[in-house]
Amino acid sequence: METMLTVDNLGKSFKDKKIVSNISFEVKKGEIMALLGPNGAGKSTTIRNIMGIMYPDEGTITFRDKGKKDIPRNKIGYLPEERGLYKNVKVMDILLYLAELKDYPLDRAKERALELLKKFDLEGKDKVSVEELSKGMGQKVQFIAAILHEPELLILDEPFSGLDPVSQELFKNEIRGLAQNGTAILLSSHQMNLVEEMADRLFLIHRGTKVIYGPLDDVKKQYANFKCTIHGVNERSLLESLPEVERVEQNEETAVLYLSKDVQPANWLKNLPAQLDVQELSIDRISLHEIFIDIATDKNLLKREENLDA
Amino acid sequence: MRNTKKVAKWEIKRNMKNKTFLIGLFISPILFLAFYLIPDLFNNSDEDAVSTTVFVNDQLGVYENLEATVQQAGAEWELQPTDISEEEAAGALESEENSAYVFIDERAFDGGVLPVYQSEEISPDFINEVQLLGAPLQAMQIEELGLTPEEASVITQGVVFEEASPDASAETEAGMDDAFLERIVPGIFAAAVLLSIVFTGMAIFQSASQEKKDKIAEIILSSLTPGELMQGKIIGYFVLGIIQVLVFIVLVLPVLVWKIDVPILEYLFVPELALMLVIAVLGYLLFAALFVGIGATMADISTAGNFQGMIMMLPFAALIFVGPVFNDPSGIWAQVGSYIPFTSPAILILRLSLLEEWPWIEIIIGLAILIVSVWVFMKLAGKIFKIGILMYGKNATPGEIWKWIRA
Repeated sequence: METMLTVDNLGKSFKDKKIVSNISFEVKKGEIMALLGPNGAGKSTTIRNIMGIMYPDEGTITFRDKGKKDIPRNKIGYLPEERGLYKNVKVMDILLYLAELKDYPLDRAKERALELLKKFDLEGKDKVSVEELSKGMGQKVQFIAAILHEPELLILDEPFSGLDPVSQELFKNEIRGLAQNGTAILLSSHQMNLVEEMADRLFLIHRGTKVIYGPLDDVKKQYANFKCTIHGVNERSLLESLPEVERVEQNEETAVLYLSKDVQPANWLKNLPAQLDVQELSIDRISLHEIFIDIATDKNLLKREENLDA
Repeated sequence: MRNTKKVAKWEIKRNMKNKTFLIGLFISPILFLAFYLIPDLFNNSDEDAVSTTVFVNDQLGVYENLEATVQQAGAEWELQPTDISEEEAAGALESEENSAYVFIDERAFDGGVLPVYQSEEISPDFINEVQLLGAPLQAMQIEELGLTPEEASVITQGVVFEEASPDASAETEAGMDDAFLERIVPGIFAAAVLLSIVFTGMAIFQSASQEKKDKIAEIILSSLTPGELMQGKIIGYFVLGIIQVLVFIVLVLPVLVWKIDVPILEYLFVPELALMLVIAVLGYLLFAALFVGIGATMADISTAGNFQGMIMMLPFAALIFVGPVFNDPSGIWAQVGSYIPFTSPAILILRLSLLEEWPWIEIIIGLAILIVSVWVFMKLAGKIFKIGILMYGKNATPGEIWKWIRA
């Protein structure tokens, strides 16, 4: 697969504070690459550096045409996190203006705009003034503006924030469709469940540095180990002495046992000692959501695992 | 440059579709015309009322001469010949308003005093005005005496006291009037252009801060550079200012040409106008740079701080100098005003309109300072704009702005 965007060793500081450092990843044609991280992790800063809205202090950003230093703005669609539209203009006027800025042919833009408005349940709104749109409609128009000129690389910063579930579904389908048609998509989010559904690969960022980077399936396999949740009064020492248990989190009558990577759940369950007090027991994989929370709240789960890996 | 043009086009289109802008476009010339014409309207109706009917009982055959004199003097009289006798006139006046009877007969040569009978409500100035009829009669008197035309002209010339100054002789007076108009008409025009584009340019400020408020700046900036966006705005609003000037010209100029006896068009299109317009455009560019930079530092016009407010007032700084410059267009205040970039556009135009001899060295220094300032302020505005336009939710402090400039 062709690489559309390469970020290499990106670093950026404001004043003396490092916002991001050593960020390296690639976005390939036809894939959805997710940039994940809690608020303030440095996602938007990374994206703004890619878009040339900020200039990196360290590292390089290369687009497909490696020879060219300039950002191929016409081939990129961008939906920023802080976004809005001119208030007192008509929907079609602003869409055409944004397309014109991208050097997209005007008649084609008009045609596509009407098509997309229809697709996003905004048929007939092309002559409506932007200030008359609801917030959700406004977001749809912004999304249309980002994809109207058929970009080769689409960068979406928190595209789902503030959307109702129906619109979320609509956006998801559209993004998937674009990827299938060969658009490279970089998508930032803090909503793990959405990313888990959509992304091919992910880059997890925390405090401006890489935590995880790789294909979603690998990440899941690597990090999403089994965990066993037990309701019942048990001694911590007993729980810790169980085989394959790497870590125990105990909270009154509930204990969560994090199991090692190679555990065989059925065998492991069979071997549980009889004196264990079990009112309720469940066993499942750690979700991305939990990994995310774990990182955001600075628990040591992943660090330990990384150490184990090393 | 292509992107700059797109932005400029958009700003023009957006404003031309905006009702508020369109109303503003027409309201200022219409207000101007209203202020200009309405007092005129009242004046006219007043004068109509005092138009006086003057009946002339002419026994000497000078009626035609009198008519010509009245017309020349532009008195609001309606001259009518009559055969009425003095006794009948007294009776007739009782039933008439604003009329007078003048009897011209041999008495003009005997004692030089002619009777005038006037109605009660006639203007008190009438008896003074009627003296102008004396001139053609005097000419007749002289003719009767049989003097040569030279002698006659000496006598009719009379003796007049006139104010005189050592350097300006009476003869250049008339010539200067023309030259003065030749300078003041383009001056007024250039000042109107400057004012108009600077006022429209103030909307740049609105446009930049609105872009932040609506949060569209980042979307726009994903397609072009901040410099292109800024230049596009400056050019766009310049064109809007010119449109304003055109609307003004189309609405106001015909009225002025019609109302004022001066051949305005002839005086307007003179080479001097070109230099004045260049000054006006430079002035616009300077203030446009200021406004676009400041606009980018503000989240909302209603939250403008003192610092931003003061900068908005800078175009009016020239007013401080207007009084002194009028008093002495080549004085020290005039020179200082020509060298300060914020006041120089207006002051230079004012001085060029007032001065007969242009102080070329001062003009060139003033222009050079202005051009350098425009360049410097464009650069600074670019730096401020680049950072400011993406700063959401708060106004930048002067300290922060200073930091951006140094960066």
